Amino acid sequence: MMVILSVAALVCGVLAGTLDVLPGALDFLRKHTGAVLYVLMFSVGISVGLHRGLLQELRRHHVKILIIPLGITAASALGGVVCSLITRMPLGLGAAITSGMGWYSLAGVTIGNLAGAQAGSIAFLSNLMREIISFFLIPPLAARFNSYTCIAPAGATSEDTTLPMMIRYTNEETVVLSVLNGMICSALVPVLISLFCSL
Amino acid sequence: MEILIVMCLGIAAGKYLFPRRAAKANERLQLLCTLLLIFSMGVMLGRREDFFRELSSLGLTSLLLCLVPTALSVLAVYRLSRRFLERREEGAGEKEKAEEARK
Repeated sequence: MMVILSVAALVCGVLAGTLDVLPGALDFLRKHTGAVLYVLMFSVGISVGLHRGLLQELRRHHVKILIIPLGITAASALGGVVCSLITRMPLGLGAAITSGMGWYSLAGVTIGNLAGAQAGSIAFLSNLMREIISFFLIPPLAARFNSYTCIAPAGATSEDTTLPMMIRYTNEETVVLSVLNGMICSALVPVLISLFCSL
Repeated sequence: MEILIVMCLGIAAGKYLFPRRAAKANERLQLLCTLLLIFSMGVMLGRREDFFRELSSLGLTSLLLCLVPTALSVLAVYRLSRRFLERREEGAGEKEKAEEARK
């Protein structure tokens, strides 16, 4: 049900943006997405706070909670190298594009500035696709793998846009790990893009 | 960073102030915010002038650069979480079962 609603919201948004229906209302929404995200995060915090014993559960893992962001970062960069070999683009550029880990706005603009408009467009599209695909992958991953694996496709977006899907399909512990993962991956994205583009 | 602070405030509110009976309403609020964010992302894409042209010319390369790292990330996190994060739970479960069997 959530997936259908998500697709409907995305399609309606694209149509409304293309046809420029109610431009005043759309501008207002676009300007206040940050506020909507804060309301969402506060609401997610409430859900976490209502779950007793969660902090003890997290403390149990110690530094092992870093395994998820490190695994995602390494696998994303490796994926870029593999794609570079297939598409015959420079290895560093491929790794830079996939190191966006779903953060399409930053990856598109940064890579566009560092490696040209076409590379910037590919970075934008591929990272946007990653975010959209994450919405649809989270429910089957939760059902067939484990809740931690749901964080993997989301990458850097696991602290904001894909977080609601985590809330719906996983548990409070995974939601907190998801926020931590998103923060760490987001901090690494600009560093890795600059690093790989300079290779 | 602000996101983490807001979330921590929410956790404190959930722990000390928020009534448990309103949990369902809180979930509905999350759904509404999520759909608004996705809709807003769609608006941003629809307003991007070259979006459909870019999608048709660079779509396949972009799709490859999306699918391969996503698949590898899923594989990596699944293997790592099975190895390092689930082991204790399984161990604890086995311990509980052994204690139950002893009783």
